[in-house]
Amino acid sequence: MRVATDIGGTFTDLVYVNDKGEIGVAKSHTTPPYFEQGVMDVIEKSRIDQAAIETFIHGTTVIINALTERKGVKTGLITTKGFRDTLEIARGNRPDLFNVRYQKPVPFVDRYLRREVEERLNYKGEVLTPLNKEQLKEVIFYLKKEKVEAIAVAYLHSYVNPVHEIETVELINELWPEVAVTASYEVTKEWREYERTSTTVLNSYVKPIAASYVNRLHTKLLENKTDSQNYIMQSNGGTTTFHSAKQTPINMVESGPVAGIYGAAVLGEIIGEENIIAFDIGGTTAKCSLINQGKVKVSTDYFIEKTERNAGYPIKVPVVDIVEIGNGGGSIAWIDGAGSLKVGPQSAGALPGPVAYGQGGTEPTTTDANLLTGRLSPENFDYEVDLEKVRTSIKEKVADCFGLSVEEAALGIIRIANSNMLNALKLISIRKGHNPREFSLLAFGGGGSMHAPALAKELGVKKVIVPVASSVFSAWGMLMTDLRHDYIQTYIRRLNQLDLPELNKEWCSLETQAFKQFKEEGMEKGKVLFTRFADIRYLGQEHTVKVPVQNGEWTEETVSEVIKRFGDLHEQHYTFKLEGTPAEIVNLHLTAFGKVVKPTMKKLESGSSHAEDALKQTRPVYYEEHGWMDTNVYDRLLLGKDARISGPAIIEESSASTVLYPSQTLSVDEYGNIIIDTGVE
Amino acid sequence: MIQHVQTKIDPFTLEIVKDSLIAIGDEMFIALAKTSMSPIIYEVLDYASGLLDSKGQLLTQGNGVTGFIGMLSDMVKQTLKKFGDGQIKPGDIIIINDSYAGGGSHLSDVGLVMPIFYQGELVAFSANKAHWTEVGGKDPGSFSNDATEIFQEGLQFPCVKLFNEGTMNEAIIDIIEANVRFPELSLGDMWAQVAALKTGEKRVIELYEKHGKDTVFSSVEYLLDHGEQLARQELCKLPKGTFEAESFIDDDGFGNGPFKVKVKVTITNDKFIADFRGSHPQVPGPINCSYTALVSAVRAIFLAITNPSQDANDGVFRPLEIITDKGSVLSAERPAPVSIYWESMLAGADLIWKALAPIMPHRLSAGHLLSVCSVVLSGTHPDTKEPFLIVEPSVGGWGAAEGQDGARGQFCIGDGETYNVPVEVAETRYGVLVDEYSLHTDGAGAGEYIGGAGVVRSYRALSDQQMASVTFGRHKFLPWGINRGKDGSANHFYVEKANGEVDGPYGIYARYPLNTGDVVKLVTATGGGYGDPFKRPVEKVAKDARNGYISIKQAKEDFGVLVNPETFAVEGFAKERKQKGE
Repeated sequence: MRVATDIGGTFTDLVYVNDKGEIGVAKSHTTPPYFEQGVMDVIEKSRIDQAAIETFIHGTTVIINALTERKGVKTGLITTKGFRDTLEIARGNRPDLFNVRYQKPVPFVDRYLRREVEERLNYKGEVLTPLNKEQLKEVIFYLKKEKVEAIAVAYLHSYVNPVHEIETVELINELWPEVAVTASYEVTKEWREYERTSTTVLNSYVKPIAASYVNRLHTKLLENKTDSQNYIMQSNGGTTTFHSAKQTPINMVESGPVAGIYGAAVLGEIIGEENIIAFDIGGTTAKCSLINQGKVKVSTDYFIEKTERNAGYPIKVPVVDIVEIGNGGGSIAWIDGAGSLKVGPQSAGALPGPVAYGQGGTEPTTTDANLLTGRLSPENFDYEVDLEKVRTSIKEKVADCFGLSVEEAALGIIRIANSNMLNALKLISIRKGHNPREFSLLAFGGGGSMHAPALAKELGVKKVIVPVASSVFSAWGMLMTDLRHDYIQTYIRRLNQLDLPELNKEWCSLETQAFKQFKEEGMEKGKVLFTRFADIRYLGQEHTVKVPVQNGEWTEETVSEVIKRFGDLHEQHYTFKLEGTPAEIVNLHLTAFGKVVKPTMKKLESGSSHAEDALKQTRPVYYEEHGWMDTNVYDRLLLGKDARISGPAIIEESSASTVLYPSQTLSVDEYGNIIIDTGVE
Repeated sequence: MIQHVQTKIDPFTLEIVKDSLIAIGDEMFIALAKTSMSPIIYEVLDYASGLLDSKGQLLTQGNGVTGFIGMLSDMVKQTLKKFGDGQIKPGDIIIINDSYAGGGSHLSDVGLVMPIFYQGELVAFSANKAHWTEVGGKDPGSFSNDATEIFQEGLQFPCVKLFNEGTMNEAIIDIIEANVRFPELSLGDMWAQVAALKTGEKRVIELYEKHGKDTVFSSVEYLLDHGEQLARQELCKLPKGTFEAESFIDDDGFGNGPFKVKVKVTITNDKFIADFRGSHPQVPGPINCSYTALVSAVRAIFLAITNPSQDANDGVFRPLEIITDKGSVLSAERPAPVSIYWESMLAGADLIWKALAPIMPHRLSAGHLLSVCSVVLSGTHPDTKEPFLIVEPSVGGWGAAEGQDGARGQFCIGDGETYNVPVEVAETRYGVLVDEYSLHTDGAGAGEYIGGAGVVRSYRALSDQQMASVTFGRHKFLPWGINRGKDGSANHFYVEKANGEVDGPYGIYARYPLNTGDVVKLVTATGGGYGDPFKRPVEKVAKDARNGYISIKQAKEDFGVLVNPETFAVEGFAKERKQKGE
């Protein structure tokens, strides 16, 4: 049996699939600060045979929480002489341009714990000044005296040659084996010292936290006689072993959210959709990511706490490209100083939650608007809904300000929320040169299916897919993952001046590294698959385009092919190519998958192919262009393969609703997925 | 009290179209950086792009720096003035950098303007302006700190058509190619600008097709009115009256100066008037700025005072009035050189800042490094033997404010979403070794809240015949403290030669020659302090000393706290601090 557990802000989810391909789900409360308890609770609640768990996959917010709540350990930093302030100077940028009281993100290591040692490499990786070990010893003793619990080591140009970082770590291990250490080359081999130092520091900062968490979880599993293969979900959309996770916990920073995106790609492969926009609406945010020809896009342009007003902290590890905006079911509708309606990013959260929850919420939210327009029914809530209270809130806080009816105001909230989400969807599609007509929208999370049909139509997407158990789809995605490691090496060479034997050696060395890591994790060589990319730009440019490149030996023909492919991609993204300008590689990127056996998806056996058998009720629903319309409401569980419905209609399932617009139609596929024809030509 | 904009079309559609316009602005902005060939654009983000209506009113602007916030409108207005409605055709792209007629800043900032037509009618413009690494002129990098006439500062594009109804004017390309030092960079950036404009055009037309002309027109009015209302509401909250400040610009690059500049700010319920009359007349050296540049600077500080987080458009600035004498250093006229115009332009912003900071401590801070602190370093890369050119601003210290210490190592108000060049990138590309990039903790700017430290960045030349042109203003007059906070320190640089000789400190210096092993040590200012230093809590003073932001001696002398140099424990207080109530 494969079991996935995913710790979220409020709930810890579990999804399992047994040997017959049957899927089961369970939910229990998240239990900070001892998150492992929530995992044990949800396993118990699912009533699975714990000894029968063969594979255990875990997604956790422990790392991101430790970072954002500043609950990591006291950390020291060792740098090249002259550069201890790199971490504090950072990049000097001020995203909040016109704010002269802008406050810079505070470094995770105080200045007195940032120490310098004599050592220096040049940009070619040649040693200009050898490492001064006597000085290093003093620094180590100083940090020991100051009682740091973790040390980060980041020297200039170590991405080309890590020799001094390696020597430094050896000496620390010798003199002080108990302290947690991270050298920059272990977490990223890309240039730019601030970004690399930041990544290294943050890894060290959470390393003891991660080790203690993973160990506690592991002990609990063993206590319950679960002798499974254990994996942790990483931000790159693949898993890694408990052991590796403890070494570079920073790879877990987006452990949970990426699973749904990855799951979308897997489901797409099963049902023959290779171009997908994955779209996840939760309680506080909406997330989207574009999957092109079956490929989930992974990059190292990740930050925490970066906003339009704040520079944030860079983390240069591979993270699935996700655009996230502060618009979810709990997002609050409000009116700005000059009378414009806004929705989010402030959220009513789980407590007090939307007005409809009756838990003390007074501010109208997207969920409340969906309720008043009939998209949700009071029966969809776990709480007793006071409709009058919801009406009053929307009337007073929104409708009266515009002299509109409550329905019009509620629809206004939905339209503004949709407009925000549409901009996010455009950002990853049209604005990256992709034609939405060639993509399907896969909607999940509690609110995905409610908003997706309208958004797809606006965006120009022809098909919307609402997967089975769409509200826990992320955890399902986790069940379907392989082991994955990304190896990125900065390697600056012009394509017309490549030393091919040297390049082939470089690729080979990345693959050797991958085989070695997988071997340590118990994965045999035959199950390891590689995909290669090169980050390329025109000479003189800074930003690169990630170009898929071939495996195996490179020849002159390969180079011409790569140049051509780069030009085409550049044109697709940015509307032009520069034929005469030489192209330059910046990074080599090897993605290595350790393939595991995954459950097959079960076909739908229950339900009726006649939609009328699933009809629950008829209720009025308020639509943008048609006003109130009597709308049939169907129970998704009763819909069988080939059932067809014409809009307007609502399809309800546990914790989610699909809103089908007039002139849209849907059908149920053999697995039970809802496939909507959005009416886009 | 909330007043509402009256509209015929439903308010949500207007809001949605308005958001779409802003999103288009963002998209154009990103497109330019991603494809640019010059670090000054993709790292420093020294460019702006935006959408304007058919009359040249700014609707939305994506900014990397604050300095362009008044300039796109003038480019478009100049285009309208020169060509009139009739001669502007679909597919035209106009190129303009004339500092005195539509350009506004210096020649290095090259503007492109593209009219957008819908159903045969001119409905909008997309425009951008970007700092090209090279536009020719007497010095590498084009902007020069010892130019005496604008003719030395590079090629002038006096509002001419680069594209005629979609056909490129090859002659202009050839002229650029023949006149600039790194034509592939400049032309590469030009293409990036053209692509960004076309993206804007495409999106605007899509918006018109989707919503129809009337709705988009109404949304544009709504957007501008909405901006104006937000600005007026903030204006109502400000203290009313007249506030004055005076200051000095160090020198003009030729040793002339200092030059007195002054402002009288009048705030009423619906006006914000900045009167710079009485400031020094334009000067021989290139620190002059045009009126348009001054407008940008005043707009930047106006936004800081009213609402730094709003989307800026011409509606927001309707309450703003700016008055100058003719031909002053803040409103210079042709052919005064303007290469390093930001020195006076930012002095204009600083004056208003200084006049209002004591009465608006919740919005403004003490004085900061003020100067862009630009560095131009040229030479030959010792490995590739190719020429290289560093053109970059420097980070420095910001002033403290009520409730917060000054930021350390940030770009000045004239910059913004500007990134320093990583040492690893600089050493790969350029023929230099960076000996040090660290905070310059001189402990200046003492206060209850302390000024932020500047930095030291040292370039060691790795080949002979390199040349450094350094433009560090605020070298003689210090960043000011407020409410009894102390002043900060000065921007300056030294050269430590391979033979051990040390030369400096200097502020502005044109073409300092460097040979292998010579080090140019660039040191930027610490910002001014806020409030009485004796009121700074003891633990904070001890921690500052432990972190090396201040010395043990400064802890005692400036803050009245005796700190143990080994343990950093507090051991007592100076008499003065005790008298003040510790």
